[in-house]
Amino acid sequence: MNTIPLKHIIRAILILLLQVLVLKRIGLSTSWLWQYGDIFLYPVIVLLLPFRISRHYAILIGFVIGLIIDMFYDTIGVHAFALTATAYARGLLLAYLEPRGGYQLSMSPTIFSMGLNWVMTFTVFSLLIHTFLYFTAEIFTFVYIGQILLKTLITLILSMLVLIGYHLLFNPKS
Amino acid sequence: MNNLLQFVIRYSAFLLFLLLEVVALLLVVRYNENQKSIFVHSSSKLSGNLYKLADDAIQYNNLQQTADSLAGQNAQLKQKIFNLERSLQRLLPADKPLDSCLLEPYKIIEAQVISNSINQRNNHFTIDRGWKDGIRTGMGVISPHGIAGIIDQVGEQYSTAISVLNTAARISAAIKRNEYFGSLIWKEIDPGHMLLEDIPRQADIRVGDTIVTSGFSFIFPKGIFIGTVDRFWTVGGSNYYTLEVRLHEDIARLDRVYVVEFTDTELTSK
Repeated sequence: MNTIPLKHIIRAILILLLQVLVLKRIGLSTSWLWQYGDIFLYPVIVLLLPFRISRHYAILIGFVIGLIIDMFYDTIGVHAFALTATAYARGLLLAYLEPRGGYQLSMSPTIFSMGLNWVMTFTVFSLLIHTFLYFTAEIFTFVYIGQILLKTLITLILSMLVLIGYHLLFNPKS
Repeated sequence: MNNLLQFVIRYSAFLLFLLLEVVALLLVVRYNENQKSIFVHSSSKLSGNLYKLADDAIQYNNLQQTADSLAGQNAQLKQKIFNLERSLQRLLPADKPLDSCLLEPYKIIEAQVISNSINQRNNHFTIDRGWKDGIRTGMGVISPHGIAGIIDQVGEQYSTAISVLNTAARISAAIKRNEYFGSLIWKEIDPGHMLLEDIPRQADIRVGDTIVTSGFSFIFPKGIFIGTVDRFWTVGGSNYYTLEVRLHEDIARLDRVYVVEFTDTELTSK
């Protein structure tokens, strides 16, 4: 049992590296799509936390991971704001999406434990909250609601592809 | 009792969530106010070293290309220097040696961009030079084909700069042909264009006009080529033109840049 936190920490570090060294660089493409979108894989660190982890820890982890991403993106507070909210919403979503038999508390929300459909639903709602709040905090006024929605939509689709791709490719068990 | 306890636990998670959100929002607002007391940014050692490591690996592939491009730039600069010296010598009285007349108000520090972004609302890039190398907040950063940004946060070995593609950036720029000047800003149009605002209506503007730095601020030397006019218009009954400027530098491909330090206090006061 003791190996699970270590596994989560190593995975978190690898995903953070992938986010800031690879996915951030993809955003340097000048095509139309990238001007309005970004790829956020790092929320998966919070989404993949085991079911049994307390909400407090999830929220704290969300805040810290957000700040680390902020440091690399030079967007102080914006990612932290979005990911803290996502971590909080994770708890509500898990309660809402709870299957009849309940969760196996030692597991994580993965395809292995919950199936593809469940993971897609869980991920799309979490990412929607995350991207919407991210672009809201980035622009910091609802004057640009059209732009927020456009950026949210494009980023949501791109991130969703990468995130589900991650699930299918690595098929994490915990 | 058990229910009450569960309620409190639930409530405390919400409180923690609210507290952290307030902290995050404070950071966002403080940053927007451009306060200097921010502790997490990519000029820190951790992120700087990581970016540097990744950049070195990528650089290795482009060495030949980079060397060719730098040699080309060198040739152009040498040509410019020889021509300028020759012109100066002709203007100066014969008994005065050229060296005694040269002003040296500018110092140039070369740097390498190790991280960059163009698809955010407020873009930044990180360079591999810090206060150890003489970098200070507010210095201008120019690139081989134009201007790149203004130094913001300075760490020991790394610094971050506000990219020209940043809603906070305002650069004094002029039309080269007739020296009308205005503020160059980025309104998230796209990474290849900026807007030059506040050009008076009597100015004669043509599509294709060259836009250069005005030299009215001491961030950038005068006359650095920024780009060309793509189109221009007036809003309503305004007395000012807005010009859409196509940037000559591809900000997405920033690589070698030069930080400009303006040292001549005598000239500043004139």
